[in-house]
Amino acid sequence: MKAALKLLHGPKAGILILLLWLISGCRCFRIPSDVLACGFSAEMLQTNNYSLVLLIQLVLLAYDLFVNSFSELLRAAPVIQLVLFIIQDIAILFNVIIILLMMFNTYVFQVGLVSLLLERFRALLLLSALYLSLSISFHCWIMNLRWLDSNRFVWTDGLQVLFVFQRLSAVLYYYFYKRTAEYLGDPRLYEDSTWLRDAFARARQ
Amino acid sequence: MSTMENEKAQPTRTPQPVTNQHLPPLRPRALPLMPSLDMGDEMPPTKPKKKKSKRESNEVEDGDEPAVERMAPEPQDIPPQKKKKKKKKKTQTLDLEREGDHTQLDMANGGTAVEQSVDGEDEAPKARKKKKPKIGDRLHSSELDSEDEDVITNAAAAIPQHSLFSAPLGQSQPISKVFVERNRRFQATDRTDLGKPSIQTDDYLEITSVWSTRDVALKVHSGFRVMGLFAQGFLAGYAVWNTIVVYVLAGERLSSLTNLLQQYHTLAYPAQSLLYLLLALSTVSAFDRVNLAKVSVAMKCFLTLEPAALASILYFAALILSLSQQMTSDRINLYNSGNGTLWPTGSEQRFLQNWIVVNLVVAVLVGLAWAFLSTRPELDYTEEFLRTMDVDEVPHKEKKLEIPA
Repeated sequence: MKAALKLLHGPKAGILILLLWLISGCRCFRIPSDVLACGFSAEMLQTNNYSLVLLIQLVLLAYDLFVNSFSELLRAAPVIQLVLFIIQDIAILFNVIIILLMMFNTYVFQVGLVSLLLERFRALLLLSALYLSLSISFHCWIMNLRWLDSNRFVWTDGLQVLFVFQRLSAVLYYYFYKRTAEYLGDPRLYEDSTWLRDAFARARQ
Repeated sequence: MSTMENEKAQPTRTPQPVTNQHLPPLRPRALPLMPSLDMGDEMPPTKPKKKKSKRESNEVEDGDEPAVERMAPEPQDIPPQKKKKKKKKKTQTLDLEREGDHTQLDMANGGTAVEQSVDGEDEAPKARKKKKPKIGDRLHSSELDSEDEDVITNAAAAIPQHSLFSAPLGQSQPISKVFVERNRRFQATDRTDLGKPSIQTDDYLEITSVWSTRDVALKVHSGFRVMGLFAQGFLAGYAVWNTIVVYVLAGERLSSLTNLLQQYHTLAYPAQSLLYLLLALSTVSAFDRVNLAKVSVAMKCFLTLEPAALASILYFAALILSLSQQMTSDRINLYNSGNGTLWPTGSEQRFLQNWIVVNLVVAVLVGLAWAFLSTRPELDYTEEFLRTMDVDEVPHKEKKLEIPA
C-alpha cells in the first residue's frame, strides 16, 4: 500500500498517469455498443479518436524537433538542458508506445496477421529504436561533459560524429513516423475486406 | 379503469345479453398509443351505427329489470361520451377510438357467449335481450365484417386484461400521423411533412460520413506539405542572406575575419539552430514528395532524375554539411567567453575558411533544391499513395446504407 502511494508522487506519477491515459485513449478505437447507442456512428468516433491520437503524436514530434534545434541555446544552467533531454527521451518512448498501440488496435493485428504489420512498419520500429538509443547516449555524454560548466567548449571528434548521427536519424525518424501515423488511417486496417482475407490466405499458405 | 371495474361488476353465472349498450363507457386516454392500433378511415362509418344500436337498445331497455336498469345508465352515458369522442376525434389519435371499439367488441363477444347459459328466470329479459342482439346483429355484422380477426371465439376464455395494451392481430393501417424521433423524443408529424426531415437527416448523415480516418490523414499530409513548402522557400532565402552577411563581414578575400568574429559570434549559434530546423522540415517534405519509404517508387524517381528526387538528395546533403559545422559554430559562439585556448592568434583563417565555404555550399544546395521543387510543386507521390488506401469504396457505401436501416 505504501509502495503504491509512493508511486503517486513525483514525476513517476505523471508518467504513469499519462501512459494509462494514452492506453485508454488508444483503446477507444474499439467503439463499445453503449456509445453507439447514443447516436454516434462507428466511423465518426473512430475518426475522432484517430484525430486525437494523431494530434498527440504530432505534438510530441514537434517538441522533439524543438529540443533538437534549440537545446544548444538553452544552456544557461545545466539543469535546463537535463530536463529538456529527459522529456525528449520520454516523448520518443511515448511515441513508440502509441504507434505500437495503434498497430495493436487494428483488425489486422487482432486477426493474427502480426507479421504483415511488422513487415510494413519494420523501418519505423528499427529507426525508432536506433534514434532512441542515439539520443540517450548523446544526452548522457553531453550532460556529463557540461554538468560542471555549461558554457565550456566540450566538443570532440567522437561527440561530433555522435551528434551528426543523432540529428540525421532524427530527420529520418520524423519522416517515417509521420508517414506511418498517416498510413494507420487506412480504413482497410480496421475492418474485414477482401484484401485482408487474401493476405490471411497467403499467410496461411 | 372504468372498463376494468365494469368487467368485475358483471355476473359470471347469471347470463345477461351483453350488447354494445351494456359495455362500459369509454373514456379518452391521455397517452398516445401505437400507430398500428389506429383504424384510420374505418372508424367514422362504424361509430354512427353503434350509436343507433345503442339508442334503439336504450328504447327497449327502459324500466324493465334492475339488472338491465343497472346497465341502463351506462348506455345512456355512452352516447354522450361517444358524442364527446366524436368531437375529440379530430384532436385525439385514432388509437384511442380503435382500442375502445376493440374493448366493446371483446365485451360483446364475451356477452354473446354468455347468452347461451341463460336461466329460465331470465326468459323475459332474454326475450328482450334477444331482440337486442337481433337489432344489434345487423349493426354488429357490419362492424364485425371489418374486424373479423379481432373476434374472440373462445367462450370460456376470460377477457384478457393485457389485450387492452397489446398489439392487435389485425393488419396495421396507415394513418395520417407518424411519430418521428427527434432529439431523443418522439414527435407526431404528418406524413406529408416526413419528406423534409428525412432529407435533413440524410444530409446530416452524408456530412458526418464524409470524414474518415483516411481523410484526416490526407488533411494532415496536405497541411504539412504547405508548411514544408514555406520552410523550403524561407530556407533558401535565409541561407543566401546568411552567406551574404558572412562574406560582407569577412571582407575582401576573408581579410577581416576578426571583424566577422566580433560581429557575428552572437548570431552564429542561433543561425545554426534555425538552419537545422528549416533543413529538417524541408528534408522531410522532400522525402514526402518522393515517397522515400516505398523503395520502388523512390528508385524510379532517382533514376529518372525527377526534380523531387534531386531536391531530396540536395536537402539531405545540405543537412549533413550543416551538422558537420556544429563544432565550429560553438567555437564562434564562445569567441568572447574569455577562454584564450579556443582562438589562438592566427587560427581564425584555419577555423573559419572551411566554415564559410560549407555555408556557401549549403546555400547553393538549398537554393537549387528549392528551384527544382518549384518547377513541379504539385508532385506528391505520398498523397497519391494515401488516396489509394480506400480501395473497397463501394462496400463502404453499402454498409452506410445498411446502418440507418
